[in-house]
Amino acid sequence: MTAVNITTRDGQTHSLECRDGVSLMENIRAHGLHELLALCGGNCSCGTCHVQVEPQAFARLPAMSEDENYLLAISTHRSPTSRLSCQLVVEPAMAGLLARIAPEDV
Amino acid sequence: MTTSNTDLLRHFDHLHPVLGQDGTPCAYYEALRDEAIARQRFVGWSEVHGGFWAVVGYDEYSEIARNPTAFSNTEPTFPRYGTGEALMIAGQDDPDHRFARALVNSPFGPNGVRIYDDILRDNVNLLIDGFIASGAADVGQLVARPIPAILTALLMGLPAELGPKFMRWCRAISEGFIVDPQGAAADIAEMYAYFEDTIATRQRDGGADILSQVINAEVDGRKFNHQELLGFCTVLMLGGIDNTKNLLGSVLWRLGWDVDLRARLVRDSSLIPKVINEFLRYYSPAFTARLVMQDIEIGGAPMKKDQMVLLCNPIANRDPRAFEHPDTFIADRSPNRHVGLGLGVHRCLGAHLLTLEAHIVIEEFLARLADYALDAKRPSRWWPGFVSGMGNVPITFTPHAPRSNVIGNAGVEAWLATAQSA
Repeated sequence: MTAVNITTRDGQTHSLECRDGVSLMENIRAHGLHELLALCGGNCSCGTCHVQVEPQAFARLPAMSEDENYLLAISTHRSPTSRLSCQLVVEPAMAGLLARIAPEDV
Repeated sequence: MTTSNTDLLRHFDHLHPVLGQDGTPCAYYEALRDEAIARQRFVGWSEVHGGFWAVVGYDEYSEIARNPTAFSNTEPTFPRYGTGEALMIAGQDDPDHRFARALVNSPFGPNGVRIYDDILRDNVNLLIDGFIASGAADVGQLVARPIPAILTALLMGLPAELGPKFMRWCRAISEGFIVDPQGAAADIAEMYAYFEDTIATRQRDGGADILSQVINAEVDGRKFNHQELLGFCTVLMLGGIDNTKNLLGSVLWRLGWDVDLRARLVRDSSLIPKVINEFLRYYSPAFTARLVMQDIEIGGAPMKKDQMVLLCNPIANRDPRAFEHPDTFIADRSPNRHVGLGLGVHRCLGAHLLTLEAHIVIEEFLARLADYALDAKRPSRWWPGFVSGMGNVPITFTPHAPRSNVIGNAGVEAWLATAQSA
């Protein structure tokens, strides 16, 4: 298990014990934070699991695919540290990561 | 139809909906939704087709679609289609589904599908050239129906004129096997022989098409085997053609009478992606089904193992708990968390292809037939079914000269001949 911190749209930050080897998206939803929609269930197809990661942690994340980049590019809320949480597999190196659930733009 | 106004859901038959004055089942869907609200029961038992649970509420839909353990996809259509074997991807559960989906996701991603933009635009214009001088056409048959079949041919690296053949194979699988089992069996055998051949050619010669990409794709060192590739071709055809054809038909029909909407889209094409989502919500072409794997209660309904569940996309998309003013078509609706393409891990693989097709058809159609209207003498006609939409959309318009000479174009002529026999 790895602890990460997720800020929901109301500004509250939740400390989540996440299962390693499982996507950050699935972990966030498993903790009941359903405002992260993830309409496509983690197929990198819908862009509705968008999070904005705190810069230092962002730099340590694995590179994104062209599809992830494209889906973020069409979001009106893309920031320099945006990622799709379905594409981030939780691992111990992510301990302490802070990310904010991006505003909705479907 | 044996429905009474007091017990609609108990007699609900998604294959034979009641059509309203506008020729669509929208009012019927709204009535089913209203009954659910009055009873505060968003899942109900229908006695039709041997009995099934009809899920008409958004929250209940979401709960089921996000629980692939309790609800299997091994029966994704209801009643079951006549493919003879389990459907790849759409009819698979984990771990097989996870593997198959991971293997094909990238070619179908938002980036991957863009390679088809130009050729699709060319084909839409060629089809329009086929009838633009006449001043009248059934664009349900001459645009909505051909485009997804042509795209499916292109996805397999095959020529556009094979589209009508795909159409026939699709019909054999979705309905022919019930009404004409012998004829359908011959069509399905022809289809598999054709796919065998195509796969062998792609394996030998390669190609830039999606089928070639899928043949060469690998996840954890494993590729699709031959049987899986055959199944992939089948699902590509089934999933790609019917849904899109029906949605495009409904789009062209609505734009034929909703002149305000059409004017807005002409003025501001940046509205098109949003309006496609609203079309998917309001005229959702597909239903989807699940098999109950364990006794479970959803929305107060006591579901038993081995029962069938019908997820009613167009009705859940009218749930006022999830959508403000659900019965109003709001072109720029936001947020729009519709389930027109399903929800969860089985959400439509071809979502980006469908969006591309709809976008191009709307743009090119409005550019070339800006003054079209529904034909006052020939009514539009809804084609009901597990996948449904406006199938016949006769229109009239000011005739124009075609941009290119289409006489002798095999693709266009094949479709003109098919439309005449429909």
